[in-house]
Amino acid sequence: MSTSSPARGRATASLKRRRTPKPVRLALLYIGLWAAFIWCVFPFYWMIATSLRAKDEIFARPPSIVPHAITLQNYVDLLVGAQFWRFALNSLFLTLSVTIVSVLLSVTAGYAMARHRFKGSVMLPLFMLYGQMFPPVLLLIPFYIQLKFLGWLDSLYGLIPVYLSYMLPLCVWLMRGFFAQVPHSLEDAARLDGCTRWQAFWRVILPMARPGIVAVATWVMIHTWNEFLYASTFILSERNRTLPLGLSGLIGQYTTDWGMLMAGGVVTAAPILLIFFFLQKHLVAGVGGGAVKG
Amino acid sequence: MTTRTRETTRLKPHWSSIFENGRGARLYPYLLVMPAILIAIGVVVYPVVSGITSAFYDVTLRTLNSGDMPFVGMRNFERVFADPNFMRASLNTVIWVLLNVVAQLGLGLALALLLHRIVPGIGFFRSGILVPWVVPSVVAVLTWRWMYDPSVGIVNEMLVRLGVINDYHPWLGDTATALYAVTVESIWKGTPFVMLLLLAALQLVPKSILEAASMDGASGWRMLWHVILPQIRVSFAIAAVLTFILTVNNFNAIWLMTEGGPLNSSEILFTLAYKYGFQRFDLGRASAVATMLFVGLVIATTIYLKLIQAKEAD
Repeated sequence: MSTSSPARGRATASLKRRRTPKPVRLALLYIGLWAAFIWCVFPFYWMIATSLRAKDEIFARPPSIVPHAITLQNYVDLLVGAQFWRFALNSLFLTLSVTIVSVLLSVTAGYAMARHRFKGSVMLPLFMLYGQMFPPVLLLIPFYIQLKFLGWLDSLYGLIPVYLSYMLPLCVWLMRGFFAQVPHSLEDAARLDGCTRWQAFWRVILPMARPGIVAVATWVMIHTWNEFLYASTFILSERNRTLPLGLSGLIGQYTTDWGMLMAGGVVTAAPILLIFFFLQKHLVAGVGGGAVKG
Repeated sequence: MTTRTRETTRLKPHWSSIFENGRGARLYPYLLVMPAILIAIGVVVYPVVSGITSAFYDVTLRTLNSGDMPFVGMRNFERVFADPNFMRASLNTVIWVLLNVVAQLGLGLALALLLHRIVPGIGFFRSGILVPWVVPSVVAVLTWRWMYDPSVGIVNEMLVRLGVINDYHPWLGDTATALYAVTVESIWKGTPFVMLLLLAALQLVPKSILEAASMDGASGWRMLWHVILPQIRVSFAIAAVLTFILTVNNFNAIWLMTEGGPLNSSEILFTLAYKYGFQRFDLGRASAVATMLFVGLVIATTIYLKLIQAKEAD
């Protein structure tokens, strides 16, 4: 801050003239921003645009960037079928169960790892981080053998422990990060007021950490809602499919109803996008503060 | 007020006061972590150990049903190395990972630098650029598959109009382009996350350093190379390792666009292991490939951890 000296100030005055003038730099910045924006948003726009077109227009060549006529027929076709609702309910059931279980399990563990010293208080968080990075393909095979053995193949209940395998480590790791950010002094004050350690945690720390807990829960929901690999391997019958599986099932061997598929894509992505843009601040803090900064 | 509350709570002993001293106090943290650890042992540790073990046994549907799986030593690995598809998949994995990591970091850094400055409308651009990251991966992959459509795909139409190609091309159906076409989708999907990591790091760079550098007349590339990059180097390395891990584990993109085809041209080790396991039901051989991936990822995770510790020490 205090390194600049008068001599340096004079030097800049002479150097500044060489640099690109400010309006041009600003214009370049906006051109860059628009280019990046279009690159990122265009596929999303294309999905929506396709979902609003009539079948003959979807397969017209050359494709036009803006739909000629807008129709909701694809959405009607999608939502009238009982299958879609079945898939959505399956996804909802799985998402809620996995979220509740993993948040309940990880909240005390994350707290203990952030606050208490015990045998393994250094190793366990590291282990959680490793657990989150394990290749799913290595876990697939033992899970398949186990689920087959237990008779839980092709069951939504069987997927809950499978999803926990990659949600729980992530949850504990993120929770630990959030609890570490709650100031120690709060807990000390509660203890001075006569709270037991458990009461200090339950009544003081937990409410303080609520934004963090909401963020972790949201992450679990988003991941579970989107999950494809495990579901597509362990779910065999049509009625147990989740939404991502149902979507991929719309790809036909010879022809695919892209209008309906894209409508399904919009409906699957909508809740995630809504949640995300409401909670954007918390979620991004989770990425920067919890997952990365540790 | 404080004294009063202290007295009232002291008067009512709470069940949790058993954790205040003695054995209860020593057990307390263990009880808190116990549920999560027990479940993690069941759903992570046990499967990993058993997955690695089955790489040394002959596990197929037949031996599974009979319950008698013979120990075969390194045979599964030998069979994997003897498969020409394995060599192809290894090479593809290297290309796939390299292209993804380099492009995502380069573009991610460019995006972070673009979005770093506060200008009117920046919130709109920031939200828009996060869209690929937020869209569910299956939805994104299927959308790109539709955009690549060989007869009416918008990608073909745009490239024809831009004069890059003369006629529509089956990007996903051609052995020469399938892997690269999928890579483009994966770069599109992964870059915003890298951008977020780097943007967070950029915002921690002290303003005074940037100002001092620009006063010294450092401009453009030199400023980036000598001033900004050294400041965010640890975050940059973290982003690189995370991108590596996420790319090696990216199954959806390849599986839902090409299933590793045509003719194994876009096969990576992940999809190869998946095919061994769940198309041929040769689970032992699949475990052998998965174990090799596991070793690579454990090394990458260890580097990642060291980097996080370096960042905390910074």
